[in-house]
Amino acid sequence: MENQLVIAIGVFVVTYLLIMSEKLNRTAVAMVGALLMVLLNIEAQERAIHYIDFNTIGLLIGMMIIVNIMKKSGIFQYVAVKAAKIAKGDPWKILLYFAVITAVASAFLDNVTTVLLIVPVTLVLTDTLELNPIPFLVPEILIANIGGTATLIGDPPNIMIGSATGLGFMDFLINLGPVVVVIFIVTMIAFKYGYRMHYRASDENKRKVMKMNEKLAIKDPVLMKKSVIVLIFTIFGFILHQYLGYESATIALFGASVLLLISKVDVEDILFEIEWTTIFFFVSLFILVGALEEVGVMQFLATQLLELTKGNMVLTMMVILWVSAIASSFLDNIPFVATMIPLIKSYGVMSGLDVTPLWWSLALGACLGGNGTLIGASANVIVSGLLQRHGHKMSFGYYMKIGFPLMIVSIIISTVYLLVFII
Amino acid sequence: MRKLMNAEVMEHDFKLRQMGADVQVINSKMCFVVFLVGKYEIAYVYNINKKGKYFLERIKPYPLALREFEKEEDVIDIIEIDLEQFKNASNSHNIESFVDINVNFNRSLLKFEDLFLYYNVPKETADRIKAHLNSIDTIIEETKHTAERLYFKKNPDNL
Repeated sequence: MENQLVIAIGVFVVTYLLIMSEKLNRTAVAMVGALLMVLLNIEAQERAIHYIDFNTIGLLIGMMIIVNIMKKSGIFQYVAVKAAKIAKGDPWKILLYFAVITAVASAFLDNVTTVLLIVPVTLVLTDTLELNPIPFLVPEILIANIGGTATLIGDPPNIMIGSATGLGFMDFLINLGPVVVVIFIVTMIAFKYGYRMHYRASDENKRKVMKMNEKLAIKDPVLMKKSVIVLIFTIFGFILHQYLGYESATIALFGASVLLLISKVDVEDILFEIEWTTIFFFVSLFILVGALEEVGVMQFLATQLLELTKGNMVLTMMVILWVSAIASSFLDNIPFVATMIPLIKSYGVMSGLDVTPLWWSLALGACLGGNGTLIGASANVIVSGLLQRHGHKMSFGYYMKIGFPLMIVSIIISTVYLLVFII
Repeated sequence: MRKLMNAEVMEHDFKLRQMGADVQVINSKMCFVVFLVGKYEIAYVYNINKKGKYFLERIKPYPLALREFEKEEDVIDIIEIDLEQFKNASNSHNIESFVDINVNFNRSLLKFEDLFLYYNVPKETADRIKAHLNSIDTIIEETKHTAERLYFKKNPDNL
């Protein structure tokens, strides 16, 4: 047993370090780590499969299918152009409307998808307005990560937490929604005053924006109607899932299946577009963390946490919130949350306390922490890559000067919120 | 990487639609094929998609216009014949001037296009160019009748 403990910790630490180093593909590393756990008999094959959270996997796949079909209709571009025209081409108003769209979209879709939908349109608009896109894209990154914090389906850490704990869509929205709204407002105020020089455009360029035709953005009006209807029903399904006794994955996969059936899209193409590398990364992480649970590492760490905090819920909440935030600024928050979930569960069992507030601390820390640095969240990395392709370089330091202080502000707001409203 | 590519496709799609285009994005595979014949690199690019259309283009040693094919075998046949002809041609002492003339033809074509798109070309100039082209065409036709034919697997497409 002792040997198994050493091997499990060794495999886990090496895998984690390799993922952090970003020298090798994170999915390939996690898969090798997970399979080593099985091959070295740390966890039996059946147990390894038992540790895979198929609710998280199903929810991710379901939402990816819905988004992949929806984006074929051109609805996101339509909404974006419409918003830009309502803003009359005014750069600040465009940013504000786009921030609202980003926040709402990222609450229901994953953050990477949201930025992939909003950023191309933003780049075209900043190009038209002859403005530097960075002061538009940085807030969009931050808002995507902030908006995703509000719901069960908005960010992978929340999906994992919801699936592991049984907390439902409305639990997340009620407990995290209000603080997310406050953080959104504070962040946008910071940009309005911090970057105001960058949100000015000539009247001629504004007129060019007004000449854009939102109707041209619609590729398939029938598909647009079908996908909007299915998305609305799916969101209703999420709102009601805990009362109806269904898992969130069931709702997402049902919505996805119906849309696949009625949309007349090429099913093979849609399934091909699913981010299988992300899915396999999740599966592998579940097996890796499951191995640590098997050998008792999680119980040991929970004991240490209990000793450190002496069962003080406020202290534990703060430790989890701030450690999650700082860690998620520099590390991939998915493996971090995958590790924290069994740890908090064990902590709950050992202390006999209701650990629900700890889940909100973990969700806020892990989701908002991603805003701290350019590598803190996938959305940040993607936007940086897109900017680079457009000849704009956003350095790690440049982003951190804006992102890190705003992330700290968001965690301070979360601290106050947790202390006043949650505990 | 794939995500960045998708985002770029979306951006292009958006821009082109605003310009009034109908844009269809089709998942396909792009194949680059390179052969080394003597000191020449013969390179092709072709695209396979689910709609059963194949787009083939020779890019080296000089470009040959894009063509659409219905079957995969057609693409391979064309490459096979093209390659065989190049292998034959590479044995000729004229190969260098053959490639050189083709490269110059292509360059002249691009210059001619620029000339018409960027300048107001007088009619006399257009007539002079036409006359030159006709004389080149005549030389080609005459040579066809006087020169020995070397390749018989298929008939020429344009001659």
